[in-house]
Amino acid sequence: MKATETSPQRQESDRQGDKKWYSAFFARPEIGPLGVMILLCGMLGYFSIPEGEFSLNPFAGEGFNALGIRNNFRVIAQLGIVALGAGMLIIAGEFDLSVGSMIGFAGGCMAMILKWGFAFVIPYISFQGGFHFEGLKLFEITDPSPLTALLITLCFTLSFGWFQGWLIVKSGIASFIVTLGGLFFLRGVTEVSYREFNRAPDQTAGSTTVTELPDIKNIINIPGHGEIERDTAKNLPNEQLLEILSTVPANTITKLTEQLTYINEKVAANKTILASKKMIQTLEKSLEGAKKSGNDSMVEILTEKINAGVEVPAVAAKVVTDIDIAKAYIDTIVTARPVANFFGGDILEPVFEWLYFSADWNVNMYGNIFAKGMYSCLMVWFIIALVCYFVLSRTQAGNWIYSTGGNLNAAKANGVPTNKVKISLFMFTAFCATMFAACQVFEVNTADTAKGNLKELEAIAAAVIGGVVLTGGFGTILGIILGTIIFGIAKEAFFYIPGIDGSFYRVFLGAVLVAAALTNENIRKRIIGGV
Amino acid sequence: MIDKSQKPLIEIKNLVKKFGNFTALNGVSLDVYPGEVHALLGDNGAGKSTLIKVLSGVHPATSGNILVGGKEVNFLTPRQATDSGIGTVYQDLALNALTSVTRNFFLGREIKKGPGPFGIMQMKEMNRITIEEMAKIGINISNPEQPVGTMSGGQRQTLAIARAIYFGAKILILDEPTSALGQKQQMEVLKTIKDVQKLGHIAIILITHNEIHARLIADRYTFLSLGEVIGSGLAEELGGDDIKRLMAGGAEIGDLRDELGA
Repeated sequence: MKATETSPQRQESDRQGDKKWYSAFFARPEIGPLGVMILLCGMLGYFSIPEGEFSLNPFAGEGFNALGIRNNFRVIAQLGIVALGAGMLIIAGEFDLSVGSMIGFAGGCMAMILKWGFAFVIPYISFQGGFHFEGLKLFEITDPSPLTALLITLCFTLSFGWFQGWLIVKSGIASFIVTLGGLFFLRGVTEVSYREFNRAPDQTAGSTTVTELPDIKNIINIPGHGEIERDTAKNLPNEQLLEILSTVPANTITKLTEQLTYINEKVAANKTILASKKMIQTLEKSLEGAKKSGNDSMVEILTEKINAGVEVPAVAAKVVTDIDIAKAYIDTIVTARPVANFFGGDILEPVFEWLYFSADWNVNMYGNIFAKGMYSCLMVWFIIALVCYFVLSRTQAGNWIYSTGGNLNAAKANGVPTNKVKISLFMFTAFCATMFAACQVFEVNTADTAKGNLKELEAIAAAVIGGVVLTGGFGTILGIILGTIIFGIAKEAFFYIPGIDGSFYRVFLGAVLVAAALTNENIRKRIIGGV
Repeated sequence: MIDKSQKPLIEIKNLVKKFGNFTALNGVSLDVYPGEVHALLGDNGAGKSTLIKVLSGVHPATSGNILVGGKEVNFLTPRQATDSGIGTVYQDLALNALTSVTRNFFLGREIKKGPGPFGIMQMKEMNRITIEEMAKIGINISNPEQPVGTMSGGQRQTLAIARAIYFGAKILILDEPTSALGQKQQMEVLKTIKDVQKLGHIAIILITHNEIHARLIADRYTFLSLGEVIGSGLAEELGGDDIKRLMAGGAEIGDLRDELGA
């Protein structure tokens, strides 16, 4: 009997179906998150269009006006900073639950150092005058700069990150338990420290916040006044403001005058529009009343009036005074605390000014500039993301991170220092948490213990939504960024849906998270199950 | 096949390895010439794994000598073994299935420009070398950026062998390279080993359970049982029954046949 044979030239590769032009696109792990992100942006855009107005352009909605963009990207960027750290660590096969507490700890540490200074004290037991503790002060920094505060805080957080990583790789205990311990430990240390340092003279426990910090990022240097807060400078007596103005070059004054004139005219024009709108509203109300009471002649008169339109006298633009110019000039002075401004200030101000003065877009309903720029944390996020992308996809370290998470034994057998990789990444998550805290502290000039609560879980969720697999070895920076945007924008998008409870965004995120995890696992199995 | 005018690449003389009271290897001697496939056969517990581990620097020898290229060596770490030219391809192959062929080929030894681990990987060059080195031992891969997970078991074995050779292995130790593979892939791997043999300058120690595979490619045999060499010889000197008998640790397969038949 002859066995049946078919085309002996058949190759293994023939079993793969023909690839369509779009298949490479859909095989990318970021494609799912990208779709969800576009969906959410569309929802946010269309649902935020005010009632009674119609537009096909989603950017006409309130969710995408200048202030909406400014605020949404602040939430996204802050989460994004910690999500990058968490995501990189998950790719290396570990995760860190202490991120949220680390944010609280770092913020408190920074704020306390800025408020009270920093001293290195060795406690010892003294028997002179009875048994008690005394402290030996080794050195003291009384008036720390923002950079000093940040660096001292980094020393603490990076050491703690190193310690957690070291403990995990040396003992082999699951990172879940060690960092869960870190979560409780750091939150506790933060609360205790706040109460201790805030302790009032009557020995009652202090509050768990640090307030009354100066607005550090807005400290400026004015000749004759030294370093002064921007708001204080603007409230100086008129003669002093004029004195400051006398030092300003003429072309700057011309430019500021032009801008102020433009603003005043814009405000006046918007006031006129608002007045006429108000008038129409009043007329419409009376019309309704007349209809109800059946006063036909009154209805006729009112309808006629409304149809004819109302004439309101145009509101005159305010005259630009020298005091206004001086104040506007103080607003333009560059900060004397660049580090604080780097974390807590605004960026892209020229762009937002252009949008107001030239593009006529960034205007609020009163005619003033709507958003003065984006929050600086967006830039911090962007820089960290760029570095992460570069390291993960282009460098030797990136290959080590992927292999440490993908197959630990293979990495070890090939001489990859997997313990160092893991410890460095635990330190990196601590670094990201510190950056997050720096952005918050320098932006709002306060700190409290509750800061960063639950951020560790949100960061992990954002990374998983973005295509990172919890078992390690799989994920991209672009995916983590998309996951973060989804997480940050979901709340806003659901807030604008009419007649729906805002908390539905959590329901939505929960479903998306599980769906994303299933998809990721599916892609991962497709890749490793090729034998 | 064996060029006896050359010196053996590796000589093992009277190697003893004791774990406390337990004697794992009791005076094992063998040598391998360049371009030779030396099959190391034996039942479970014969001491094959211990021998590999001593040769690849995982365990230090208790006594005896190992000579690589005529020079006496004493390995304390796996790194030292690799540096003196011993490349071991373990059964799990030490590959990360989720990343690309190139990234696996150069794992831990990436070609880079720049400081420390943050040097930029020279992907183009690495891709080129990967394709070339794989082609040298008979596997053409079209896309070195494909994940290792999409390759067949045979191709993965080839990748691990090519990697060991490229990074300076003159003595290649293959630990059961054909186990856990399908028929066709087993043949692929045997072909690869044949291709490595043809390169001429590499000595191969092949550990296997499979007598048929050994007979297809081995030039010489050494049989281990209970930590000792119980027989060795050139392929042409040994008959099929001898091999079967020695593999089973000297017991007569015929006896077993009788027992089963009874």
